[in-house]
Amino acid sequence: MSGQLSADVVVIGSGIIGALAARRLAQQGASVLILEAGPRLERARVVAAFRNSPIKGNWMAPYPPSPWAPHPIYVPQDNGYLKQSGPYPYPAEYIRAVGGTTWHWAAQAWRLVPNDVRIKSLYGVGVDWPLSYEELDPWYQEAEELLGVAGADNTGSPRQHPFPMEPVAEPWSMRRFRERLAPAYPVVANTVARNSRGYDSRPACVGNNSCQPICPVNAQYLGINAVEAAEAAGAKVVPNAVVYRIEHDTKGRIAAVRYYAPDKSEHRVTGTTFILAANGIESPKLLLLSASDTYPNGLANSSGMVGRHLMDHPSTSLTFYADEELWLGRGPQSPSSINTLRDGAFRSQHAPYRLDFTNISQVLNVTNDLIKEGVYGAEFEKQLRWRAARQVNVKNVLEVLPNPDNRITLSAEKDAMGIPKPEAHYAIDDYTRRAAEASKTDFARIAELMGGTGLRYSADGQFANNQHITGTMSMGNDPKTSVVDGFGRTHDHENLFVCSTGVMPTAATMNSTLTGVALALRTAEHILPAKNTHAGAMHSGHEASLA
Amino acid sequence: MALDELDRVAANRGDPGDPSRRRLLAGLLTAYTASLIPWALAQPAPHADRGAFTALSAILVGRQTLDAAQATRLYDALAAAHPNFPADVQALLTLINERHVDPLQLQGVLDNEHSPLASLPRAIVGAWALGVIGSGEGARCVAYETALNAVIVADVLKPPTYAYGAYGSWTRKPI
Amino acid sequence: MNASARCLLLLGLIVTASVHAADSTDAALLQRGQYLATAGDCVACHTAPGGKPYAGGLTVPTPIGNIIATNITPSTTAGIGHYTEKQFSDALRKGIRADGQRLYPAMPYTSYAQVTDDDVHALYAYFMHGVVPVDNRPAPTRLPFPFNIRLSMAGWNLLFLDSKPFTPDPAKGVAWNRGAYLVRGLAHCSTCHTPRNLLMAEQSSRELAGGAVGTWLAPNITSDANSGVGGWSEQQLVDYLRLGHATGKAQTAGPMAEAVEHSLQHLEPADLQAIATYLKTVPAHHDPADTRAVDSWGAAFDGIADQRGTALPDDAEQWSGAQLYDAHCASCHQVSGEGSFDGGLPPLFHNTATGRTDTGNLVMVILEGIRWTDATGVHMPGFAHALSDHQVANLGNYLTLRYGNPAARITATQVANLRSGGAPSHLVALARLAMVVVVVVLILAIIVLWRRRRRRRTSSGQA
Repeated sequence: MSGQLSADVVVIGSGIIGALAARRLAQQGASVLILEAGPRLERARVVAAFRNSPIKGNWMAPYPPSPWAPHPIYVPQDNGYLKQSGPYPYPAEYIRAVGGTTWHWAAQAWRLVPNDVRIKSLYGVGVDWPLSYEELDPWYQEAEELLGVAGADNTGSPRQHPFPMEPVAEPWSMRRFRERLAPAYPVVANTVARNSRGYDSRPACVGNNSCQPICPVNAQYLGINAVEAAEAAGAKVVPNAVVYRIEHDTKGRIAAVRYYAPDKSEHRVTGTTFILAANGIESPKLLLLSASDTYPNGLANSSGMVGRHLMDHPSTSLTFYADEELWLGRGPQSPSSINTLRDGAFRSQHAPYRLDFTNISQVLNVTNDLIKEGVYGAEFEKQLRWRAARQVNVKNVLEVLPNPDNRITLSAEKDAMGIPKPEAHYAIDDYTRRAAEASKTDFARIAELMGGTGLRYSADGQFANNQHITGTMSMGNDPKTSVVDGFGRTHDHENLFVCSTGVMPTAATMNSTLTGVALALRTAEHILPAKNTHAGAMHSGHEASLA
Repeated sequence: MALDELDRVAANRGDPGDPSRRRLLAGLLTAYTASLIPWALAQPAPHADRGAFTALSAILVGRQTLDAAQATRLYDALAAAHPNFPADVQALLTLINERHVDPLQLQGVLDNEHSPLASLPRAIVGAWALGVIGSGEGARCVAYETALNAVIVADVLKPPTYAYGAYGSWTRKPI
Repeated sequence: MNASARCLLLLGLIVTASVHAADSTDAALLQRGQYLATAGDCVACHTAPGGKPYAGGLTVPTPIGNIIATNITPSTTAGIGHYTEKQFSDALRKGIRADGQRLYPAMPYTSYAQVTDDDVHALYAYFMHGVVPVDNRPAPTRLPFPFNIRLSMAGWNLLFLDSKPFTPDPAKGVAWNRGAYLVRGLAHCSTCHTPRNLLMAEQSSRELAGGAVGTWLAPNITSDANSGVGGWSEQQLVDYLRLGHATGKAQTAGPMAEAVEHSLQHLEPADLQAIATYLKTVPAHHDPADTRAVDSWGAAFDGIADQRGTALPDDAEQWSGAQLYDAHCASCHQVSGEGSFDGGLPPLFHNTATGRTDTGNLVMVILEGIRWTDATGVHMPGFAHALSDHQVANLGNYLTLRYGNPAARITATQVANLRSGGAPSHLVALARLAMVVVVVVLILAIIVLWRRRRRRRTSSGQA
């Protein structure tokens, strides 16, 4: 066991959520250490790696897993890291590296709608959150200002103060959707962490259309920006530190964590407060791994709920040819949505959903189609242009209800470091499937309004995944049925907090990052209130939680 | 086919192209396959194998100008990945020549006959259109910005990761 | 109402009326003063980054040390609120402060000397009544000996200050004269663009033939077709001054970007046209190294196509120029350097950035990028943190070879120098040495003369 690191606050995971929590705490004067399993990355290398990749549709190609901190890869082969035990596959993707998974996102930065946190009371499904939308509102605002969120106040989520920036300029293709679908379907600009002007010393978007897997110009907020902000505030990042165990003392307080370096040497890090921010799969995995004699079911798991209530956003979609040239691929990848189906009385019967229009260039898809169809000769070029100009896609983003049988557990298989791999048990129930069925009517109507031909629905019963990992460490007021309280403090361990989308007890319909950041900022404030001295606040954490 | 026949075919198509090119390919083509190629290939091909590859490529992607440096690069990569590549290319060109197969029917014909050449058109078109040789774990990128699928739409789109233009420039109607 | 009351009322009305009349004149005068202050770009030096307008505090680095711009708000305690119009005029046009001390020519009074009395009047009105007073006095300028002796500027001014206001040339048109007035006067272009002699005075015979601003080159903007702007149309010049770029020619960076952002882009189209008219007539100065127009070099070139599929070396210091270009530059400037469809992200060929033999500005823009302070923000990111000296040189040489003048080379040492603020100047040491020499010569001369006088007295005493 070599060299003891120590800090007031030890954060496990350097993604956007962990890094922004770390930044806030460092700004309040705490010494903060961020342990990251994966390596540092360089944007320029990622850009070049993408351009040199043979499967351009494989957005994980520029992010090869490191042997000591693997993450799931499915193309060209499944690397077998995230085990699947069914009944429905859960092929989650995430990145273990400094900056985390939001190196590679479309920066959709949505708020929930107020009813999303009360669906049990209102609709008799799911659970209620242990906080209200109003309590979350100021934290959403702070998150939006940190990330630089561009939007307009027409998306259904109430707010007290304006967005930091005007909505991003609307691509021609999206404008035509908006014009032609009105008034049946109001199409609005996505609220996104993407600059519509110079912001925070970063440039405005210049339409590289590669938000996923990488923004080449730093116009989109990435987890790495959060890490740089945390480091500027004084937090220290230790990359290539694979945490494999969280240790507690005789009183049930967390005393230390242990990590492997890539050479498998063991290191121990002590601290006063610990924040688990290693995404909704790696975090419960670590809690389960840290089982001890006192806690045979894993840490923070007296409820037995760690890893359970796994939720994500499944999607089905319709692809078709519009009757006019739209040329998807000009501007950012995810500009517009229909938000009017996210809430309503129907939620007692079937899931709500958001309808999402892509602006991802269709050239690659069309080329692959033409080759598969054997379209050779002069027709190839004609068809490529015709289809690339007209092919469009609309997808739903469906809510999944919390189900304790959907869960992350430890697999019997181990990775290269001898650490058990995570295993997913997942299913999509009728509540969600009924919504998928209902959305087909919307898809058909949208295609009709766009003069659509060549309609291709995604296969029945097949759902794409959106990597919004929620539920596995759900928050709640009752320690018997939840893992953390409304402030992210684990019920079982006074000084162990969770900052992750994994604490969200229901998934709603919106990409979960902004909510995860807002909750994390609220947790950081709870740990160390702004303007309080370090000494006073750290030891009165318990009192604060009773307030 | 005879050189003067080739010249006549090219003249009928309305563009004279490069006579030395036609000279080189004269021995490889029939009137039929010559009619499939929009003439004016970019530069003379150095020898028969590469010439056959260039001719076959031109037929399969229906493309006027095929960059010679790119043709060389793709030929070398494909030949390295496929045993018997030069002979297969010749065989497929001969097949198209002799049986007057329409490029749009070609894949169907090869698949129905369980032809040993069935994977060849896909490999060649994939190389030119996507800039990719091989598939699965062995796949290699040999072109991206110069892949035909980028070139064909280059008046409207930049390939992903390349900026479209100054902020807001994508609000205008495309073309 | 009695007579005296009526008198008072009448007086009051007259006073009110004249005050109103003065107000409406004043409004127009203030507006004109503000426009002229914008043309003179006073705010560029007299405002610190993030500071209040005209409150001073900006440090202007010069070869003889840092000069700190003063507060020129109408504050009576910290600014120029107590200045009379004559004192304002003397400061502006003669380089003499209200307390009689000389200003250093970092304040371009040698250019402002051209400003007419009418325009001085408007400027005075603006600075007295249109600017918000700020009561913070910035730190005073302290230059090293002997340059801290402001009186020495008197001698310098005798040699180099042409203190006559601009006189129109009757042989030239209205636009030319307006352009000459602006260029030589308020816009003070020669402050940066005219080379200076050893005593740091502008060489008037080489007007606008090129000068230095810290680590940036203010290039030759004479009418030379190769080295200057002789090959530019007037519209291209106007575009450049108004937008900060001219497609197929150049784009502003560094101090010129500031000048366009704060001053030139706000000028009236007629004034910009006038400046363009004048510039096209400035006597041509030709650098023999420029064998063609500096904006005419290069062509589209894809140096990356044959790299595709090649893994990048782990050690970024080993990356070729093409690989550096791919990873850092091509996203905006495109794979063949052709820029975006609308030129908003400019091409790298037919671009003075890569066509000049002096590669300093190319290095500077790679290091610092281009950033405006308005909502447009970062126009181009800087790569000082991302690239080493060697990488910048490698990349820059790829750019000049493929898109610009292939004879224009960059070295890692050059990059290191520019990154650290430029080669240090020897002026202070030279000046001190010169003074020592002068003093020694004087002493020797006194000794010689004294000895001669003694000999004469001695010899005459013997008569």
